[in-house]
Formats: sequence, C-alpha cells, structure tokens
Amino acid sequence: MKRKSRLLATPARYFSLSAILLLFVFCASAQKQVSGTVKENNNPVVGATVEVKGTNLATITGPQGTFAINLPSGRTQLVISYVGFETQTINVGDKTTVDVVMVPVNTTLNEVVVTGYTAQAKKDITGSVSVVNTKNLKSVPAASAESQLQGRAAGVTVITSNRPGDGASVRIRGFASFGGNEPLIIIDGVPGSLNGLNPNDIETMQVLKDAAAASIYGARASSGVIVVTTKKGRGNAKVSYNMYYGRSVPGDGFTNLLNPQEMMDLAYLAKKNDNAVLKHDQYAPNGGTFRLPDYILAGTASGLMEGDPLVNPAKYNLDIDNVSGSYLIVRANKAGTNWYDQITENAPMMNQNISVSGSADRSRYLFTFDYLEQKGIVIYNFFRRYTARLNTEFNIKKNIRIGENVQLSYAKSNGAGLNDEGTEIANTYRQQPIIPVFNIKGDYAGSRGANLGNGSNPYATRVRSKDNRNHGYTIFGNAYLEVDFLKHFTVRTSFGGTFNNNNYYNYTFQTYENSENNSGSQYFEGANYFRSWTWTNQLTYKNIFRDKHEVTALVGTEAVSDWGRFLEGTRLGLFVDAVDFRSLTSGTRANGSPYTPASLFSQFGKVDYVYNSKYLASVTVRRDGSSRFGPENRYGIFPSGSIGWRMSREDFMSSISWITDLKLRGSYGQMGNQRIDPANAFSQFRGGIGSSNYDINGSQSSTVTGFQLSFVGNPEGKWETNTTTNIGFDATLFRGKTELVFDWYSKKTTDLLFQLQQVATAGAGPGVNPAFSNVASMENHGIDVLITQRGTLKGIKFDLTGTFTTYKNEITKLSEGVDFFDTDAGEGGRIGGVFVRNAVGHPISSYFGYKVIGLFQSAADVSSSPTQTAAAPGRFKYLDANGDNKITDADRVFFGSPNPDFTYGFNMNLEYKNFDLTAFFYGAAGKDAINYVKWWTDFVPSFQGGKSRAALYDSWTSTKTSGTIPIQEENGNFSTNGTPNSYYLENASYFRMKNLSIGYSLPSSLIKRAHIDMFRIYVQATNLFTVTKYTGLDPEIIGGDRAFGIDAGVYPTVRQFFVGVNVNF
Amino acid sequence: MKKITFKFVALLIAGTVITLSCGKGFLEQTPKGALDENTLANKKGVEALLIGAYSVLDGFIDGGGIFLGGWTSAGSNWVYGGVSGGDAHKGTDGGDQPDINPIERFEHTPTNGYFNDKWSVVYEGVARSNSVLKVMAKATDISAADVTRITAEARFLRGHYHFEAKKMFNKVPYVDETVIDFKVPNDADIWPKIEADLKFAYDNLPETMNAKGRVNKWAAGALLAKAYLYQKKFTEAKTIFDLIYTTGKNAQGQKFALLPKYHQPFDAATENSTESVFAVQYSVNDGAPDAANGGWGEVLNFPYNSGPGGCCGFYQPSQDLVNAFQVNAVTGLPDPDNYNATEVKNDQGIASTDLFTPSTATLDPRLDWTVGRRGIPYLDHGVHPGADWIRLQSYGGPYSPVKNVFTKVEKDALNDKSFWTSGVTATNYTLIRFADVILMLAECEVEVGSLDKARQYVNEIRARASNPAGFVASASGPFAPYAANYKIGLYPVASPAFLTQAAARKSVHFERRIELGMEGHRFFDLVRWGEAKATLDAYFLYVSGTSNPAINNKRLYLATPTVAKFTVGKNEYFPIPQRQIDLATGTLKQNPGY
Repeated sequence: MKRKSRLLATPARYFSLSAILLLFVFCASAQKQVSGTVKENNNPVVGATVEVKGTNLATITGPQGTFAINLPSGRTQLVISYVGFETQTINVGDKTTVDVVMVPVNTTLNEVVVTGYTAQAKKDITGSVSVVNTKNLKSVPAASAESQLQGRAAGVTVITSNRPGDGASVRIRGFASFGGNEPLIIIDGVPGSLNGLNPNDIETMQVLKDAAAASIYGARASSGVIVVTTKKGRGNAKVSYNMYYGRSVPGDGFTNLLNPQEMMDLAYLAKKNDNAVLKHDQYAPNGGTFRLPDYILAGTASGLMEGDPLVNPAKYNLDIDNVSGSYLIVRANKAGTNWYDQITENAPMMNQNISVSGSADRSRYLFTFDYLEQKGIVIYNFFRRYTARLNTEFNIKKNIRIGENVQLSYAKSNGAGLNDEGTEIANTYRQQPIIPVFNIKGDYAGSRGANLGNGSNPYATRVRSKDNRNHGYTIFGNAYLEVDFLKHFTVRTSFGGTFNNNNYYNYTFQTYENSENNSGSQYFEGANYFRSWTWTNQLTYKNIFRDKHEVTALVGTEAVSDWGRFLEGTRLGLFVDAVDFRSLTSGTRANGSPYTPASLFSQFGKVDYVYNSKYLASVTVRRDGSSRFGPENRYGIFPSGSIGWRMSREDFMSSISWITDLKLRGSYGQMGNQRIDPANAFSQFRGGIGSSNYDINGSQSSTVTGFQLSFVGNPEGKWETNTTTNIGFDATLFRGKTELVFDWYSKKTTDLLFQLQQVATAGAGPGVNPAFSNVASMENHGIDVLITQRGTLKGIKFDLTGTFTTYKNEITKLSEGVDFFDTDAGEGGRIGGVFVRNAVGHPISSYFGYKVIGLFQSAADVSSSPTQTAAAPGRFKYLDANGDNKITDADRVFFGSPNPDFTYGFNMNLEYKNFDLTAFFYGAAGKDAINYVKWWTDFVPSFQGGKSRAALYDSWTSTKTSGTIPIQEENGNFSTNGTPNSYYLENASYFRMKNLSIGYSLPSSLIKRAHIDMFRIYVQATNLFTVTKYTGLDPEIIGGDRAFGIDAGVYPTVRQFFVGVNVNF
Repeated sequence: MKKITFKFVALLIAGTVITLSCGKGFLEQTPKGALDENTLANKKGVEALLIGAYSVLDGFIDGGGIFLGGWTSAGSNWVYGGVSGGDAHKGTDGGDQPDINPIERFEHTPTNGYFNDKWSVVYEGVARSNSVLKVMAKATDISAADVTRITAEARFLRGHYHFEAKKMFNKVPYVDETVIDFKVPNDADIWPKIEADLKFAYDNLPETMNAKGRVNKWAAGALLAKAYLYQKKFTEAKTIFDLIYTTGKNAQGQKFALLPKYHQPFDAATENSTESVFAVQYSVNDGAPDAANGGWGEVLNFPYNSGPGGCCGFYQPSQDLVNAFQVNAVTGLPDPDNYNATEVKNDQGIASTDLFTPSTATLDPRLDWTVGRRGIPYLDHGVHPGADWIRLQSYGGPYSPVKNVFTKVEKDALNDKSFWTSGVTATNYTLIRFADVILMLAECEVEVGSLDKARQYVNEIRARASNPAGFVASASGPFAPYAANYKIGLYPVASPAFLTQAAARKSVHFERRIELGMEGHRFFDLVRWGEAKATLDAYFLYVSGTSNPAINNKRLYLATPTVAKFTVGKNEYFPIPQRQIDLATGTLKQNPGY
C-alpha cells in the first residue's frame, strides 16, 4: 500500500473504534464464509476493518490485504473501513469472495468519531460535536494540546499563555459558572489533563459541546467535554521520527518608556505643574538646575557627581548581616538600562519524538518516546518534559480483547511570573532606566536610594531564582477488557487513572539593593501526591432490524475516586546561600494536609436509533452520585435527547446534485457541574499558626494553639444544572469539496453553585470563604460555524478550514438581594478599587468604574461641571451617569468586557508536488482589556518607576491644553490615578498569523533505496505578525474567569522560528 | 469457548453489582485536616477556641484558606485613630495605599475597602467569642469555675470587638451566641450590651490569670469604665477607675504602676509590665506564615530605605503633633491654645547629606519617643538622617513614627525574619496602658470630681515623663547628655490651667494627646469630646500651609484643590461598609451623611 499517502492523509480520520470492534466470529451455526482482498491502487490495504453490518462480528485484513469472515444467515452486507478511506458497504449476495477497492475519502461523513463511551459515524451524530483535525492541531509547536486547540474547533475559545510548559484557558461555549469552567478531558476513556499529555500521541480529538453529546458525562459535563484517543499500532511495523528545533525571539518589551534624561524632564514637569520647590534628591539635591547625577547612591546619599568624596570606592562596604549599615555606591546609567533586554534572550525550543508501532495477528502495539525542551524568553525560565507511551492490545480469544494505554512522564521546570505587578516582566517597567544592573563593585544595583521607586532588579530576581525547580511525575492510563457475546453484545470494563507526584522548591535570597528588601533568606520545599482512579463497566448492544432500523444501546456504571496529600516546609535564615546546602533540615515551619477525598458513582445509558439512514434519534440519561454533596441531594439525573434528519436522503432533494449530504439536527438536555470543594457540606473548625494561634503567654516567639470556625458548610448543596438547546446542520456539498457545520445554541445554568458571600457578622469563615450554594444563574448563547473547502487547482491540492465562534454571556442571577460581586485581579490595593464587577445583566468579568469623558480644561470648566472630588484643570472629568450634578459611587458604569464578540481561525494547507505549505491565522474581535501597566507608567505619583513617553509628551499642562493624558503631578487623587476608570480600557481585538510552515518531502525514488518511506523537512514561523490596536505587550491576556483581561505586563506571545524533520521507516 | 465467555461476563456483572452495593459508603467522604464541633466540645477544645478569639486582637488573620485584614484593620487603629485624628499623615508616597488618602481628607466613601476590612475583622472577633460560648454549652467536662472564667473572657473579648465597631461606625449590629440569622439590623444603640458583656467579665474574672496575655478583672474593669466614659457616664467610670488606680493589678498579680521611664511601655523588653493593663500580644519567628502573629498591622510604619525595618514609610507624624510638644522654657508647660504659633524646626526639603541643626526650642522629652526626626537618636539605631529614611519627603513630610519600632538590640530576635520587610515586631500594642487609665480618671475628676485631683493625676503622668533617665540621650551636641533642649514641668497648685472646669478639661485633653500620641486614640477622643470639627479643621488649615504659609513643613495635598475639612453630623463616624449593606439586603442602614 501507499505509505506516503497514509501518513499525509489526515490522522484525524484514524479511528479507534476498530479497537473495540476487532472481533472474531464464534457462532458456528447457519453461516457461510466470505473471503477476499482489500486494495487501493493495486496496493494491499493492511489492517482494514471488515465488519458484518448490524453485528459486532468483524476482522481485520492481513499482510496481503486478505480477509476471511463468517457471515451469519440473514446477513448479506459487509462494511469495510480504514482510516483515510471511504467506508464501503458491500452487498455480498451469493458470492463467497469479494474484492474491495478502497478510495480515499472525500467527505468525512463516514468518519467514525469517538464520543462518550461509544463511537458513531459522523453522518449519524445528532449532537453538537467538533471534530478536531489533529494534524492541523499539531502543526503549531507547543507543549500542550490546550494551546494548540486555539482556533481549531468552532465553539471553543482559547486564551494561551506563552510561558513554557503552560496550558491555556479553554472555554467551550462561554462560561457555565463562576469557576471550574475547564472542560472535562477524557483520554482513552479516563478523565485526565491535556496539559500532561504529549500532543504527538493524540490520534483523535472531539469536542462535545451540547447536552446531547456530553450529558452522558452527567455531572462533570456542563463546561463541555473533550474526548481524546491516543494512537494505536496498525499495519506493518514502522518507525517514525519527528523533530523540530527553533528559537523564540523575545521582541522589544515596553518600547514606550522614557530614558533617564526624559525621566528627569518629567520629574521637573511635575514639580513645575505643582508649583513645588524645584529640588530633587537625584536631579537637584540642593535645588537649582536639574542635571543627571553621576551616582544615584553612595551610602545614604543620592544624586551625587563625580569627585564627591562620598563616592570614593574605598568607602564601599556590603555587609549582608547589616544591610542598612552597608555603604553601597551605584553609578547612574545615563544611557538607560533596558531592563527587558536584560532579562530576555532568544530562547531555544526543541522536540524529539520517536514512535514504533504495528500490529500482528493477535496483537497491536505502539511505543513512543518524546522529549520536549522549551526555554522561556525570560532567562533561566524553562520547561523540559520526557514522556513515554505504551499502548497495546491483545486478542486473547476470538471474542475477547485485553489492552492497555499508559503514559509515563517526567517534567522539570523553572518558573517565571505570568501577569501581575511583582513579576520580572512587570519590573522591566517598574525599575527606572537610570539604575544599572550592577553597582561599582559588581554587586546588584536596585531601587535603593532617593526617588528610585520601589521596583526590584528583575535581572537579580532571575539569577537568584535560577535554581528553583518544579519536578512532576505522572503515570496516566488504563487497562481494559472487552468481550463480545450473543452476536450483538459487547461488554467492556476499564480501570484507569492517574498518579501524580510533584516536588517543588524555591529559595528567596536576602536582598540589599532595593528600596524594599527581603529581610532574610528563606527556603521552601513541598511535595504533593495525588491519585485518581476511574472504573467503568459498560454493555453495548448493536443490532439492525429489517435492514432499516439501526439500534445501538449502551448501559454502564462508573466509579471515580480522588485522593491526595501534600507536605510543605519552610526554613528561614540559612547559614549560607549555597545551592547544595538548601534543605529543610532545621525548618521552622511545616504544613501539610490530606486533601478531602472525593468520589463519584454513576449509572448511564444511551440509545441511538437510525431509520433508513434518514431519521436519527438519540436519548441519553446519566445518574450521578457525588460525595461533594450531602446525602439528601447526592444524586442527580441528567437526561438529553436529540433528533436528526438527513434531508438529502429524501427524494425531493435527490435532484439537487451539488448537495451531497444535508442533515438538520436539534437537541435538548441537561448537564451538571460538581466542581466545588469536596468538603463543602461540612462545617469545619481549624487551627492555624497564623489564623488562630496566639501568644497568650507573652513569650514573644511562640504561640498557644487556637481554633476557629473556618468554614460553615452547606449540607443542602446540590448539582448545578446546565440546560442546553442546540440547533444546527451539517452540509456536505460538491461531493465533499465543501463542508459546512453550523450550530446555534443556548446554554442556561441554573442552581449555579456560587460562593455566596455572607455578612461579616457571620464571621470570617463564611464572610471570606463562603460555602457554595445553589443560588445563581447564567446564560450563554451563540453560534459556532466550521467551513472546509478542499480541492485541486492547477496541481495545487488545497484544504482550507475556517472556524467561527461566538458566545454571549450574561449573569442572570446571583442571589436574593445581591446583584453583583467585585473581583480583584491584583490591582485592588493600588488603584483605590477594582476593575471587575460581575453583575446581573452583564457578562462575566465586566469592567466597571468611572467613565472618563475628558480632562478639565480650566477652573471655569471645573466649576461648571458636576461636583467631583479633587477636580482640577488637567485632571479626569468623569461622567455624571445619574445626572445628579455630583460625581459619586453611583456614577460608576460598565464600560467594557474582555469577552470577545467572536473569535475565528483560518487554516490553509497547500500541497504542490513534493512541497507543502500550512498557514494558520487566528483572531479575536470585539474584546476589551484593561491596560493596568498604564497606571504605573502614565502617572508620576503611581510610585516612582519607569514612566511612559505619553506622560511626558502627551500630558495636559496649563500651556498645552491639547494634552490627552492627565496633568503630571506629584500626588495622586480620585481625579487622576486614584480610582478605576475607563482610561485604562483598550480595544484588545487582534488578528494574528499563528503559524506558517513550508515543507518538502524527498521524492520516494530517492529514499526508497535507503528503505525510508517518507522524509520531509520543513521550516516554520509562528506569530509572524499581529494586527491590533492594543498598546501593551500582548492583547492575549490570560487570567481567572471572574476577572480576566487585566494586563500588568503579561508574559507575551512572541515570534518563533523552527526547522523540522519527519521521517518514516 | 462459550464457558469462558460467560465466566468473563459473570465476573463483570459481579463487579458491577459489587460497585453498586458499596456505592453508599463509597460516597461518604469527610473533611480532612479539620475538626467538627463535637470534637471540640470539651475543656481542651473550648480553651483552644478561646485562644482563637484572642488571636483576632491584632486585626490580622492568615491561614486556613482565609486571609483577612492587616494594616487596614490593625488593632492599633493607626489609620482611624491616628491619621484621622491629625497625629500623623498617611505618609510614604501618594500612590501607595491610596484608600487612606480620602480617609485622611475625610472624603471617604462607603465603598472604601479599608472599612470593610475593619468591620469584617471585628465581627470575626465577635464570631469567635460566640463560638467559645456555643461550643462550651455542649461540653460536659468543664468545672463551674472554669465555665465562669471562660465565659467572662469570651464576653470581655466580645465586648471589646463590639466596642471597636461602636467607636468606628456607631450604628452597628450586636451579635451574641444565640444569633442564627446574621443579618442583624443596626437600628439599636448597643452600648447597653457592650456594658453587660464587660460588666460580666469585670464581676467574674479573677485578678490573677495563668497567662500574661489574658484579660483579668482589672483589664475588664478598665474597658468597662472606658465604655462609660465614651457615654459620658463619668460617675460610673470614676468609681471603677478609682478602684483600678488604688488596687488594680495586672494579670500576673502585680499592682499597676507607671514604669520609671516614658518609653519603656513601647519596648519589647519591658512589655507586659505593671503599666500594661491589656495588650495585644505579638510574637515573631514562631513559625507562622507571613509573620502573621507579629505587629502586622503596623508593618508599613517604619522608616524607608536604609532605616530600621526598611519599609514602607507610612504613618508620618504631623507638624501639628510635633509643635504640641513645645513647652514654656520657664515652666516646662505646654500651650494648648497657641502651640502652632511657632513651628518646630524641621529638615523638610534638606537632603541627608546637607547640614542640619535640629531645633533648640524647649521641648517635652516625650517628643523624641513619639516622633523620629532628623538629628535626634532614633532609639538605638543611630541619629535619624532625615530624608534618606523618608520615602518621599515632599509628600509625607520629614518625620518617622517611633513607638512601634523595634530597637537595634532586639533586631532578629524580636522582629520577624521571614518576610519582605523586617518591620514585623514582637513589641506588643498596648490597648490600655496605666497612663491611659490615669488620664481617663483625670477626665472623670474634671467632669464630676475634683479639678485639683485631675491636676495631680496629670502631674503624675508628667512626673514620670520628667525623669531625666528616660530622656533621649546624646553624647554630643549642645544639650548633651540629652539629645535636645528637654524640659517638662508640673502644674503647680492653683495653676490657671486647672482653675476652671473648662481650663482643666483643656489641660487634661492636651496631656492625653501628648502622652498617648501616635497610639491610635486621638480621633476617637476628639469625637467623644465633641472637639473634632474645631480641632481638625484648624489642623488642616495649619498643616496644609493655608493658615500659615510661612511654615516649612506643609502638606499641599491637604489643600488641593480645597482644604480638607471635617463635616459635623457625618464624619464623627465612618461609613458602614457598602459591601455589608449590600449583603445584608436591607437590614443595615447607612450612617447619616454618606
């Protein structure tokens, strides 16, 4: 057979149903044997599935493409299927030999898709399922399939993180709840995580979006389900090797920052604006003319010039035991330190993947080994992972199969900050440019000294944290047994799960160079251990009556159990900072705890019915019992139903030749959510050294154990219910050249589990850490569209796919009398409030505050405007939303939302002769972000860090009233930087070229002699360009669901360049 | 063949049945690492809950999934009592902790997060006190005497936390152990209930307790009398204060007395002494995360840069407070009416490297144990270098706080080493010290007793402060062996300052300001005296440089765009936190004016 075509054909069309249906006949009565060969282009097709239609009887073709199968009486049809080829139904009639010629697929109608506990041909699916093209998926280099999923599946919104090893925020059709909106990931039938999975091992990936598709997962399905199967061995033994190597280019960082000279000009401007004394500890310590100092620090003095006796290097003294008494001397970097350049570098990324797979008579095997190394653009930040997978399956009897899938992985990393004011990246704008990296003696320089702000040297932070590590070990997989019996039945049991063990340690150095220093060294080490198992038993019945009524029925039970513990310790004031000495040997603090275990026990059933390949119906029901709820509400039932109509099979449409297939679908059903603290039902008392212990004896250095009510349980808690309506159609046009999938949905969450904050008079337990109660509700609706166009034009084979995703989220209820809650994304203590208000009638994570309508232009303008605290010329003028002629809390309005109007992906695959080209674009439109970096850089009084060019050149002054940003003053207030307002709002819509790769496959004539089946080399670039109006580092800003899109200097998405090789033997 | 098949099928069905049948127990999971109420319903458990109730006194909770409060809710009330009272400015940098800016200017609104924190912390204290009583009701192994003692301690704490709520917010709910619906309205005056709790404690607690940090009879009495004082029930207050003055003892059984030197109550080495009536016990390096049991509420209130603590330059004393320490060069007595007529010389606008000579004016020696200023030894950390230790002098002024700062001798032993700053100390915050009791007694004497007795009490306070052994020392300088021109005199018999009730009142009030400066009482005193409007408006005019543009040290932001002012009928109390009003769905009413 033609190996090249098989590998280049979309692996997405591999299907693993054959794993379940590899059957041998055991019933000997009243049957005849049929034999034959399966070929394609005169090449034998090895490993194709030959199945007696309407039964579970099947076999696979042997090395020469031959097969033999017993046909029971009354059965006349064989179904022959193989990945990448059209599934064919052959009417055997009286014949005893059949030769089948396979044709490569043009449509995906017969593609078999693994969904919940079962598999269906795509044409028979009535629920809303996005089938992900896994070849396209894997074309973007990433550690996790979560990131790769961006733009690949309609209905899925993905916000990626560019930090090595990170996953992404994956949300299916908006938000079902205020937390726990991560989809359920099922890998080979076992709940798992895409983050730990080697993406190269993925064979198929389906996204189950509506209740009809997902409610078979019941209580865990309300945020959607992603079903993944890993690769299986198939056909002759083969070895494939894939590798790529590339580099990430960090880019320029914050390019709008002032240089030291301009920083001085800005300080001068603020003093002039304030009519303050023109005196500055760095630029003019004795008043008079401002000038850049030669030294920013010498002992306790600042703003010194060369020749000053205070800067005599002989006076230099760094005593780590007496930091405040040390005499440090720091020369000014008048040219300016580019802190972003200091902490970033071109970062290599490499992946090596080898796999060995094949099948023999009664066994199939696949072994892969994968090594991924990604360095961060931030120095010393890296992620390294080794994974090995072994998937095998044995036919121990004709009708009995046993198999296993297992992945072992080990990951090692050094982290870096992602998105908050304390990260190394944030300190590239918080640290003034006049500060050098090192002082005159090569020790670190920092913000210590007058008027140098409170940032910390980010380079020092990175170097000091270079030996911090996280180590993670994971075993994930399952073993299963399947038995076929009584012609129509298959029983399957699967036991699987995960073992995680993580170890992590970090060391905090005592510092001396900053204005705010760590007062001592600290070593922290911890480990956690977690295991989860899932035991699934299911019975499947499959039959076809009178050739027209196809019935598939399924019943099953499932038990899930989670358990884990963790242990952490801290040691203070280590004798020396030496790496090898870091241990907890004489730790002063330890804590650890078992996690409260959680368990789930479920029964489920599903019936699919197809009449004459025309009318489709499906009913699913699942009953779940969860330990997370009290006994009264422990069980929940989640039903769904769906119908489909393949209109194109009707006579009246047979004349429309360009419509190959058209199916209308509709579904309605319910799913649940149980993602709450497993101990939610219980009131708990806890003791804690920091929370309830007290030094009642006045010892000054020890405490007596105390206890407090830390949590008031809610025994009444029950499932959150998510009711989904879905209407859609699947169209295949022009003999498969065009495919269109359209869905409209509405998703309503009721009894939403909300941490209903209690009045503080109930105590801090319920006041700060309230139990989940079923009080809120939320709605999402939108459309998902997928369009594919394939064809050949002047010898160029093309395959174009576009996805389009929308969701409109609205909070419809919180609780009686409470219609909003605010969420702090880290800015709360800085800006006199928070940006995000989650309120009834608005989408989750909406931005709320005063709306800036301009700047006050004059005293007259101030007096003629509504009364506003701290109003003055050049300061923000806020909207008097309620028209009462004064600006109060009541004038705050909703002014933006990070939820996009729509997101879209466009993928293009071109093949010409031996060349191939892939381009992928992704965009998000109509979304806002809060550029919180501006708070730091656009206002002089927002701490004395780096400032923006806008602050100096575009600010209002009494002589430049055209200024667009507020007057620069030394003190902040409500009308400048003292409250959340719409000044920080920016349009964060963007369009990005995510991927471009060009490959060349060596001609087979050339490589056959070396017994190589395929040899492809390629070059690739990611994130080549981004079109956006957003002024921060990256418009893609990851954050928690209750408050996202708030940018404190996010770890940015950057360009990457790669070369790679794919080889098959 | 078939046999084997059916064996497998039978096995699977059996497996399913087993799974089904064990389903019920399988789904029973209990919380780990936590206890339920029944496990704590015994002496050991109830005593531990009582400790938990004490542990909120510092205003900070860290752990168990809960973080609450901190500098926003410090037991010392430095923001509400100190900054609002004109003792000090927020200090530091305009952008840091911006929520304090409107509080300093009396422009605060109900949504200010500081108020919600303070409210939440005091009611957590109430909830924990109630928890003790609730769980104790189920215990059977506690002796009657212990039940009484534990009840009295818990009710004292409940009274204290409610007292805090009352003086901050006035109209507040009262929550006891019987409350089930916590949306308690704030429509009643809770003084009677606070009194009842404190009186029970006063009537039932023993004099001597088994730990220094516990409340005893006299501490309870002092707080009860203070509650009377806040209600102007001077007679009732005086009765108890008199008794405390004559026979009161601390929890260790030592008779109350002023320590010989003024600064000793603020030194960790001499805390829990005869002058400590009731104190928040701080401990450090005790294994708590984030130094949670130290003086966390005051962690920001240290000099900046190379100064002790290193962070963050908050709570900078005002020029008005400093001026109040000026005394008549002859009599050594203050001038409450005209103390701002001259500005105590300061180094505002002068770099640390430039020369500066401190004031040579005659000053009350308590100044330099209350305010850190350029040129004067700052505890044992050396001479205060001025600007170098100040975060942003142009914003916060030239001064540093002193009373909460650790000494160099204590460094590393009595300040925490685990934190981003070394400014978490073991130096207790004394909620009620004996000097406070004496001055409250003097107030009672002015109102219902003898003016001369009031004078004698004030003199007792001044006499201790005048002990030269307690002056800030300096080996060099024009006033060696002292750091400045210290003088403090006693009020003579028939002093005009005590001749009329009004004069005596003024003298006692002024003495209270000086003696208890920077200890978090000032704003609450001004409000209960009815002097807030006059005092604070004058304060704003002065420190902003509006009434006297010639002063060197002025806070321009208090005059921009208009001079800050106190609004009568509104600013006496802080607003009920809007979040609590929202959550209470109609049961909480906002204070007038907000």
